[in-house]
Amino acid sequence: MIAHLDCDAFYASVELLRRPEPRDKAVIVAHDGPRSVVTTASYAARRYGVGSAMPLSRAKRLCPHAILVPPDFASYKRVSRELWAIVSGRLGALQHLGLDEAYADLTGVEKPVRVLRELVAEVRGRTGITVSVGIGPSRLVAKICSDLGKPAGFVAMGREEAARRFAGHPPKLLPGIGPKSAERLRELGIETIGQLQRTPLETLTARFGANHGADLLRRAHFHDDSPVETERVLKSRSNERTFDEDVASLAELEEVLRRLARELCEGLRRRGTRGRTIAIKVRLDDWTTVTRARTIDAHTNDTALVTEVALELLRAYAPPRPVRLLGVRLAGFDEEGGGAAAPPRNAAQLALPL
Amino acid sequence: MKISAAREELLAQLQTVSRVASTRAQALSGVQLIAAGGRVELRATDQEIALRVPLTAEVEREGTILLPARLLVDVVRSLSAPSVSLEQRPAEQDVELVAGNAQFHIRTLRSEDFPPFPEPEQEGNVTVPARAFVDTVLRVANSASRDETRPVLTGIMVSASERELRMVATDSYRLSVKETQLEHPLAGGFEANVPARALQELARLVQQVDGETLTVGVRQNQVVFQIGDVILSSRLIEGQFPNYRQLLPESYEHELTIAGGEVTDVVRRISLLAQKNAPLRLSFAPGELTVSSQTPDIGEARESLPVAFQGEPFEIGFNPDFLRDGLEAVGSGDVLLKLISPLRPGLIQSAEDGGFLYLIMPIRLNV
Repeated sequence: MIAHLDCDAFYASVELLRRPEPRDKAVIVAHDGPRSVVTTASYAARRYGVGSAMPLSRAKRLCPHAILVPPDFASYKRVSRELWAIVSGRLGALQHLGLDEAYADLTGVEKPVRVLRELVAEVRGRTGITVSVGIGPSRLVAKICSDLGKPAGFVAMGREEAARRFAGHPPKLLPGIGPKSAERLRELGIETIGQLQRTPLETLTARFGANHGADLLRRAHFHDDSPVETERVLKSRSNERTFDEDVASLAELEEVLRRLARELCEGLRRRGTRGRTIAIKVRLDDWTTVTRARTIDAHTNDTALVTEVALELLRAYAPPRPVRLLGVRLAGFDEEGGGAAAPPRNAAQLALPL
Repeated sequence: MKISAAREELLAQLQTVSRVASTRAQALSGVQLIAAGGRVELRATDQEIALRVPLTAEVEREGTILLPARLLVDVVRSLSAPSVSLEQRPAEQDVELVAGNAQFHIRTLRSEDFPPFPEPEQEGNVTVPARAFVDTVLRVANSASRDETRPVLTGIMVSASERELRMVATDSYRLSVKETQLEHPLAGGFEANVPARALQELARLVQQVDGETLTVGVRQNQVVFQIGDVILSSRLIEGQFPNYRQLLPESYEHELTIAGGEVTDVVRRISLLAQKNAPLRLSFAPGELTVSSQTPDIGEARESLPVAFQGEPFEIGFNPDFLRDGLEAVGSGDVLLKLISPLRPGLIQSAEDGGFLYLIMPIRLNV
């Protein structure tokens, strides 16, 4: 059995806890800038339709009386550490996803439901943060259950019950089915999880390929055997910036890219991490988002090398329109197993008779 | 232990040696500094590969210390003073590093967990020309498998005898063979399946270190390479390496000579639109080869070039990276392309250099 613990409106709750205003106030956490987006919103603000990643300008229109506070990640990290220390004190190692959610493997935990209820009360008493809990046979079911009861939810469900209960929901409810897959499913006439459950495997593999097709069907039936991975494997790190005003000048973009690359490499050196794949991300003023990547011969976190490659990628792309966001990313870390992974294989690739 | 060295020299040697330090096990993430007999040597290993490089330094007090490799590299890189001194402080279990006004105390790692290194032996070694050896490695290394579930294929089969070096690598989708003729006969021979990683590391070292000759000592289960004062050792891969001769077809239907640079350029260009495992298609018609690619939701590309093809038109698919690797390994000269049919292996050779073979398996096309 696996539990998914998810803090309710975490950043907004931390902000409310240290302010004199009553707990049920509408709070929006965001940088105040002409084009910033909402980092998180309290439930009071969500009732007005405010949600994460929404442009701040729109959020202010929807909920003009909300208190706007800039994010203070140092505080969120402190509260997060305190909170998860309480939880792991009774449940052991956790798999963390960001500051505000985690999976716990309940194998070997006596009376897990009672322990979880006690933990929720203890966390609330000691940190003031409300945690929603989902319990299921897999990470997939647990995650959906924690979302179901929010805020202050506590939902447990078996696989078959989940498969029945969510049959009428759109496929994108399932983690791992993003907007693109959802769109392609819609093209096949599949608009609910139930329809997906009844779709023949061949139809899905023909459209999505053997692996992805089979995976979609497994998910629709809420089959998931992914383990709780308590040691986080870092896949990539990035550093990006959204401009207050779109930038058209290549010289100015290069200047920003140099700084982003320097900051990124400094962070990586502190962690002793090196990557082989250097990528840039460019979002144009029309929201076209382009990434360009290059894999180099050896792992690096050298500022000069990363900057050089990033600049080459930027010059080669030569943004055709003003740029609203620029980022640099390093991936392919050497902790992953010393060197490049095996190249991806086409299912129709023939092999020598070795 | 107490030594002092020029920052530039220390940094260069640390960067070289720390490349093989493990990123996993703690004791193996260290670089060992040994000051003995008036010399200083740096050592690192990840259990499979072990590297020893000399350091030009002044030894005030002999001894051995183990320090975290990456941290040490980062510290030395950041220094601005021209010289660095390192002194072990046993009571504090650390090392005091001083450069100009900067002072660091870096905790040492437990030397007991650091394995002993193989010593080069005086006998049973073969000396080979370093450049020829490394050039041969680089011609075949791409074909070695990175799939750890088939360890025997992650190595390069290296044979040396008389006037010939031969290396073979395959990941089962392609197979590279390079035979290099030597000017002078070797004083002995050997055959060993060496991890491709170790040979690629050796190639990097040979490019950095002065030294025309490479001494190779093949033992029971390991190989020791020595170039100048640098010693790289590696475990050998056990198990039967495939007999490549059995895999080469006896005859081919089509043998085409194509201007090397031209076909490589076409393949590079058209490969840009063969993404997400899409194959590259080679369509042969009398007098013409058309290379094309297509990726759903991305786009497609095609380009034709003249070739002396005769007979029934046919189409064959290849992994674009595998095909490009083969063409690039041919080098600058013309390419000899030999084919049988869409589901049989193809052979890429250099029209000038008979010593290179690249056998490539096709991708089945659903026409």
